[in-house]
Formats: sequence, structure tokens, C-alpha cells
Amino acid sequence: MTRNRLTLGLALALAIGLTACGGDDDSSGDSAGGPVELTFWHGYTEADGDVLEQLVDDFNASQDEVVISTEINPWDVIDDTLLPALSAGNGPDIVAMPAERLPVYADRGAFVELDDFYDDPDSNTAQLNPGAVEMVTVEGTRYGVPTGFVPLAMFYNKALFAAAGITEPPATWDDWVETARALTVDQNGDGTPEQYGAAIPDHATVANGVWPSLFYGGGGDIVEGGTDVVIDSPENRATLEFWYQAIAVDKISPTGVDGIAGDGLFSSGKAAMYLGGPWMASISEENGIDYGIAPVPAGPQAQAASAIGVSMAVTEQAGDDAVEAAEQFFSYFLDQENAVTWSLGSGWPPLRTDVAADAVAENPVVAALTEQAEFGRPLLPGVVNSVDVLTAVDELTQRAMAGEDIGTLLSEAQAEIESAVG
Amino acid sequence: MSLTAPRRRYRPPAPLGGRRVAPGGRRGGRRGATALAFLAPALLILTVFVAWPMLSALRTSFTDASGFGEAEWVGFDNYVQVFTDPDLFDAVRNTLWYTVLFTPTAVIAALVLALVLNSPALPFRGFFRTALFVPFVVSLAVAAYAWTYLIDPQVGLLNHWLGGVGLQLGNVLEDPQLAMPAVALVAVWKNFGFYLVIFLAGLQDIPGSLYEAAKVDGAGPWRRFTNVTLPLLSNTLAFVLVFAMIAALQAFDQIYVMTGGGPYGNTQTIVMEIYESGFRKLELGFASALSYVLLIATLLLSVLQFVFFGRREKDTQ
Amino acid sequence: MIARIRPSTVLGTMAMLAVTAAVLLPLAIIVLTAFKPVSEVNAFPPTLLPQDWTLDNLRRIVDELPFARLVLNSFLFAGGVTMFALVFDSLAAYALARIDFTGRRTLLIAIIATLMIPFQATLVPVYQLVSDLGWVNTFAGLIAPRAADAFGIFFLRQFFLALPRDLDNAARIDGASEFRIFRSIVLPNAVPALLTLAIFTFVNNWNDLLWPLIFTTEREMGTITSGLTLLTGPGGIVPYGVMMAGALVAILPLVIAFLLVQRRFIESIATTGIK
Repeated sequence: MTRNRLTLGLALALAIGLTACGGDDDSSGDSAGGPVELTFWHGYTEADGDVLEQLVDDFNASQDEVVISTEINPWDVIDDTLLPALSAGNGPDIVAMPAERLPVYADRGAFVELDDFYDDPDSNTAQLNPGAVEMVTVEGTRYGVPTGFVPLAMFYNKALFAAAGITEPPATWDDWVETARALTVDQNGDGTPEQYGAAIPDHATVANGVWPSLFYGGGGDIVEGGTDVVIDSPENRATLEFWYQAIAVDKISPTGVDGIAGDGLFSSGKAAMYLGGPWMASISEENGIDYGIAPVPAGPQAQAASAIGVSMAVTEQAGDDAVEAAEQFFSYFLDQENAVTWSLGSGWPPLRTDVAADAVAENPVVAALTEQAEFGRPLLPGVVNSVDVLTAVDELTQRAMAGEDIGTLLSEAQAEIESAVG
Repeated sequence: MSLTAPRRRYRPPAPLGGRRVAPGGRRGGRRGATALAFLAPALLILTVFVAWPMLSALRTSFTDASGFGEAEWVGFDNYVQVFTDPDLFDAVRNTLWYTVLFTPTAVIAALVLALVLNSPALPFRGFFRTALFVPFVVSLAVAAYAWTYLIDPQVGLLNHWLGGVGLQLGNVLEDPQLAMPAVALVAVWKNFGFYLVIFLAGLQDIPGSLYEAAKVDGAGPWRRFTNVTLPLLSNTLAFVLVFAMIAALQAFDQIYVMTGGGPYGNTQTIVMEIYESGFRKLELGFASALSYVLLIATLLLSVLQFVFFGRREKDTQ
Repeated sequence: MIARIRPSTVLGTMAMLAVTAAVLLPLAIIVLTAFKPVSEVNAFPPTLLPQDWTLDNLRRIVDELPFARLVLNSFLFAGGVTMFALVFDSLAAYALARIDFTGRRTLLIAIIATLMIPFQATLVPVYQLVSDLGWVNTFAGLIAPRAADAFGIFFLRQFFLALPRDLDNAARIDGASEFRIFRSIVLPNAVPALLTLAIFTFVNNWNDLLWPLIFTTEREMGTITSGLTLLTGPGGIVPYGVMMAGALVAILPLVIAFLLVQRRFIESIATTGIK
């Protein structure tokens, strides 16, 4: 009887499945003797991932007290996997995540304080870019070390520039708008250009950095010192009015574009200028775009660009010896030689201020970005509830570019953000 | 051609409330013991992996838990917050709007197509049935990516084609009025095929003699539909409606992919809020409280439907 | 058989062809974009067919992921859940539909109520439980929490209720046990319902992203759906062609599996009904 066999098979499968598969060995590295074993979750999956694995392997080989094993958790799913793992006490010892995500975990007590580590002169932290360190600092305490810090940069399409007879990328906002107007082409005169001078997303911008960069340029900011909300300022009002004129009236950029659509516009040659992260270089190459890299043009008050950051931290469930081991890895990772290796391999500028641009000259993109490192400003450092703040900024900029009253929008955004950080 | 046994019949579902007294009568404790034996494996799984976590979430909803570390008891604070946060009012409104857009559209589309597919005159029925079911095997997230590409304002094929005949679709996902219908449409596209199959099964079980009798009485196609099909299909319809509604009230996947809740929070649903507060803001206590409010609301709406269909059932019998 | 073709049939057929074409368009987009080179994905004007067919997108997936292993895992996970859920759900549904016991209605409502809480709310406690059992990164951890589910129980109960009672009453008089009635009378008559539920359960678990992503941390234990998250492009943005190629390889085994059973599935629904 086949059905009897089926029932029996099911029962057996269940029994075997539930018992045999269940006995997973518990591999936390707190046992006495032998090296300390650490797990390290990160989301570096491109060439940067290979370089990081190599650095970890080199570190493991360089001593016999600590062995680190890595597991890949891509950046956009790290929140989904980390919370359950931490809640059950079987999360990683070290975790890397987008820098603006660190404060909320730190605030909830997920990460170990690293102030003592920073005070240790052998930790290799003294030369770190201060902006990058700001992004791991919550209420004056440092909870992690940066693995990446890069200001947004302007990518421009050299072929489109040449076709319009333009030789230099713009250096100021006025230049930017003027250049963009010259590059905006509406051949059939239907009011919708076929080619835009720029793609300036009005929400969900790359690393949420486009509008903060513009606010800085106009002399404004969003939140100061983690809790002081300053978005409703005359400077920001002037900035929004300036860009409303350029985007919605002069149509140098389509409206209602987000960061992913912006990437698409630039990489398909339909927009001549774009603010992006270092990866725009490889995206452009893949799409056959002859690109140049320039700093974000200077605003009337400042030349500044919001930085994209990645940080790594030690979780609270790491034991004392695991914390010590993790710190040992951090100082190895941050030493001058490895900082250069990591910079070249990841395509991001060096995290140390004492690595000059010519040390990374073999990679022209890194060299170009390294020269711009001084313009980089941390995004919402120390702000625990960055989720709601960024949502409020997105709503503000998208509505402003759609033509709503900027004064009202700013005071609404001010209230929203105050309740988010208060 | 078919090797399946002729006795294998697919029956329309029974009334949602169940039929009243089962023939065979009660035989007290022995029946209970037999029932328990049948129920035990499922109940074990459901108790351990569903009921217990639900109780745990209920407990969490009275704390300020972040999911890890210490949590403090905060009484009804989270529930107070649920009912006083203006953003949540918007999320409730959006969720209801989505449910109203999705549920009738998906159910009616499935029903109409099932009626057409049930007509013996239609050629290629096997092909149509298979083709219309295939979207169901695609995940909602993948469906969301495909649709996003299709209606992309710059390079979307649908925009391009419609533009060719003078219809400007515009930037649908950034349009506060159109974004919600768009994300609802994606869910309709994915799910109607499954409802269609359930309806087909129900339709197949309506005896042809009833239609013949109605024809003899001079009933046209519409009368035959309202007097024969609809009453005999009402149990199936109720079943599909309730489950479509429960799914709609938990809308998340394609919205997360397509709009992230935007523009201006116009597609922000309750489950989007639950996800954001739990997994992004690490306010698991609040997320749990909100989940329980959703549970109660869903329960009430379901009971309303049960009552409605229960009454219809009496009317028609 | 040659019948006279009526104009309404022609119109109906053409309408159905139009609807079907519209329904299949997004699927065509997935399949065809998977074969488009990068330069064509964002090209304007867009075209349905690739101008220059490429296998690069598919190759990237096969090269970068332990593809065969992930597909196997998907089959084991989705198949395992489906197998257990069908057995446990049908047993429970039988009791709820055919055995009269006290508290039946309350139990039924309690079971349905479990569907009304979003899974995001119980994910953390379920994970804690699975972790305490030592089942993270195991098939037991992936399958056991889903080995029974409220939808399946309720779905089958509805169909069991509608089956005529003459046969099992006769069997009962002959002294057959409840289990025998369940196995020899109710189940054989419910094959289409069981197949429908099997497809529903299999598809949903195959396509589930978060569940395998959270319950497995080792790459080798992931499913094809969760494994695709490991594909990223520069800046974490997956090139569109690669994304669609990933979607294609993730749904292709499902479509094949469906086509294999669909004849039985749909015919058993469709043909038996005609009297």
C-alpha cells in the first residue's frame, strides 16, 4: 500500500528532520584555550568584498590569538537579519552597517563603547578623518570605527559637455545651473526635454545626501549636535527657492526622480551632471559613459558635500576577550599600510588624513575623491531616529520641488524633525 | 486523456460559519479524543511556533523593548501612542484605501474571468487557464520590480506605448493620487489567478441542470448569473473575499519595493509602519502594539463579513 | 467536432486573448530583460525584444552564486513545508469539518485569528525560539515553524465540509475508523483541493525572502530567493538586467514544477465538474 508507505515516510522524515538537523554545534569562541573566534557581518559584495576578505585573512595569519570569520549580510537587509539575531543572542561579534544606522543601535545598547580603545595610542585611530569618527559618535561616546567615508561628488558626461562646447565642470551653483541650462535639450519643443543638464533627485537621493549637500552649500543644516533642529532657517529657504527655480522652472532636471532613477538618467546619457557615490564610476564604465569627477560645486556660503559612511561596531554579546580581539582587528585594519590597501581595493578614499592623494594615485577615482575629502560632512551624526528625519527631509524637498509653499513646508519639517529627535 | 480517477471531485467550500449539526450526532468524550488525535500535530506546531510567539509579542507590546537588551514595562503607553500619532491615522486611511482598491478588483476580475473560462464555447481554455495562473508563481517583490520598470517615466515600455497613442501616463509612482492604485494593481495582477482557480472549482460544481431549468423559465444570462450562479457560489465568494481582505490589510512587499511608502507617505500602510518601527527604529514594543491593533481591526472586519454572508445564506436558502 | 462558431464566441476569444496578453506582459518583461545587455536596459526608446541578446546576466548569477545548491535548498525547504503542511493541515481540517466536538467553533476562530497578525510582529519571538532549539541554519528551523498553517487548515476544512456524507456514514456503519474514513474516503475525493493548497504553499515558501534570509546565516543554507540578495552591483544597486535574470532563474523551476502538475491540477478541477 503506497499510502501507508507515504505516511510512514512522512513520520520518519519528520523525526529525522527534527532531531538530526537540530543538533547544530554551538560555536561561540569563549572556550578557554585556543584562539578567540569572532564572526563579522558585512555587506561588501563587490571587489571591495574580496579586499576585505583578504585583509581579514591576513589578520588571521598575522597572529594566533584571534580568528575572524566573515558572513555577508548585504546593506539593505542588515536591519532585517541583525535584530532577530541580537534578540536571540546569536548575532555577530562585529557588524558593519551604513553609518547613519549605527546611532539607533548604539542608543538601544546593542554596541560596546569604544572610548577606551580610541584613547589607546596604538589603536591607529588618532589620524582618522574626524567627520568619519563623528558618524560613530552618539552623545559624545564612540561606538564603532569607520570603514568608509566619502563625500558625494559630481559626475559629468564628457561627451555631452564636448558636444555643447563646455570644457570645465562648474565650480559654483550659478555655474552649475548655467551649464545645465546649456546642456538641457528640448528638440521637439514639447516642454519636456529629451536631455537634461542635470539629474537632481528630489527624494530618496543617493545615501540621502543630495539635499543635505545643498543645504550645507547654502549655509544651512538639518540637525546640529544630534538634537538641535535647525532645518527651518532662512538659509535653507533660500536654497530651496534657488533649486526650485532651476529644477521646476528652468527644467534643468526632471522632478519626481529618486536616486535610482537618477543613476539611470546619468548612466543612459540622458542627464549630463549627477551627484553620486564612488560607484558611479564603475556604473558609468559599464554603460560606456565617458565621465569626469568634480567636487560638488560651491554654494553661496560653503563648499560642502554630504558624506556616505559605513561603520563597524562590536556587539554587546561579544565577551570581554572578544571585544579585545575585535579591537585588535580594528587597529590592524586602520594601520597606514592597510588603510591604503583598503582604500585602493574598495574604491573609497583613505580613512586616515595622513594618507596623501598620491599614495592612492594608481586608482584615479580614489585619487580624485581623496582630493575632495575635505569637503565631506557627516550625515546626521549622532541622530538616533535618522529614519524619521530623512523621511521628513524627503517630503520637504519633494513637495518643494512640486511647487508647494516653501515657508510652510519648512516649518512643518521643523516640527516633524523636532518630534523625531526630541 | 485524463488518468485521474473520476470520483475525485473538487467541491465548493461550505459556509464560513460551518454547517450546523453534523449528522452522526455527538458521542461525547470519545469523539473529543479522536478529534484531538487528528488535531494534535497541527496544534502542536501552531501552539509552539504561532500562538506562543503571538503571546510573546503581546507581552512585548506593553514594554519599551527594542528587541534586545533590557525592556521596561510601560503599561498602555504604546497603545496610547498608536491612537494619538497622526501619521498612524494616515497609515490606517491608506491601508483601508488599499483594501478597497485591491479586494473588489481582484475578486471581481477573478470571478469574471472564471465565468468566461467556464463557458464551453471558449476555445483554448487550457491555455487561458494556465496563462492567467502563471503570475501567481511570481513573488510580489519580483512583480514589483517588473512593473516598476514597465511604468518607468523615462524608459518604461508601457509609458512609451501609451505615449504613442497620445496617453501620457506620467510618473505614476510619484503621483500622490496614482501611486496607491498602482501598487494595488500589482497585487491584483499577482493574486487574481489564484482566486480564479478557486472560483473555477466552485463553478464546476454547479449542476448544469439548474441553468437548463432557468433557461426554460426564460431567464437571460444576467438573471441566470444572479439567480443561479451567485447564490451557489456565495460560500466560495465569501471565503475568497475574507482571505483577500486579510491579505490586503497586511499589504507590504510590493509597496516596500515600489514606493517605500511615498510619495509623501501616501502609500504608507500599517504593516509598513510596523516594519519601520520594529526593524528600523528598533521600537519593537510599539510595533507589537500596532500589530495587535491591526489584529483586532481585522477580526472585527472579518466578523462583519461573516455576518453579512451568513445572512445572505439564510435569505437564499 | 465541428460546430458553428458564433460571433459572441469570436469576440469573447479576442477579449480573452487581449486580457491574457496584458497579463503576460510583465512576465515577458522579466524574461526578455534578462537577456538585454546593460546598454539596452535604459535605452530610449525602449523595446520589448532585446536588440542584442546576451547571456551575461544569467552567467553572472550562475558564476556568483552557488546556484545548484540554492535551488536544491529551495526545493527542500518549500517541498518540506508543503509536505508537512498538507498532512498536518488535512488531519486538523478533517477534525474541524467532520468530527463534532465541544469547542470546535472557538478553536476554528482562534486558528483563523492567527492569520490576522502580520508576520513581522512575530518574527523576533519565532527566531528566538528557533535559536533556542539550536535550529538556526538548519532545515528543521526553516520548516518546522511552518509545518502547519491556519490558511491551509481553514481552506481544507471548507472543502471537507462540502463533501457528501453518505459514503463515510456507510463506512462508519461498517465499523471503519475515523482515520480510515479520512484516508480512504475524504482524501481521495479532495485531491484537487490538496493540489491547490500544495501549489499555494509551495509557491509562497519558494518565493519567501525574509524567512530564509533570517533563519540562515550561512550562504550554503540559503534559498535561491534569499541568495539573490547577495547579488549586488556598485553602490548596492543591482543592474536591472541581472535582477531580472535572477527573477527568471528563481521562478523558472517553479514554472516548470507548475507545468508538470498543472495538467492534473486544472483538469481535475475542470473536467470532473462537467456532468
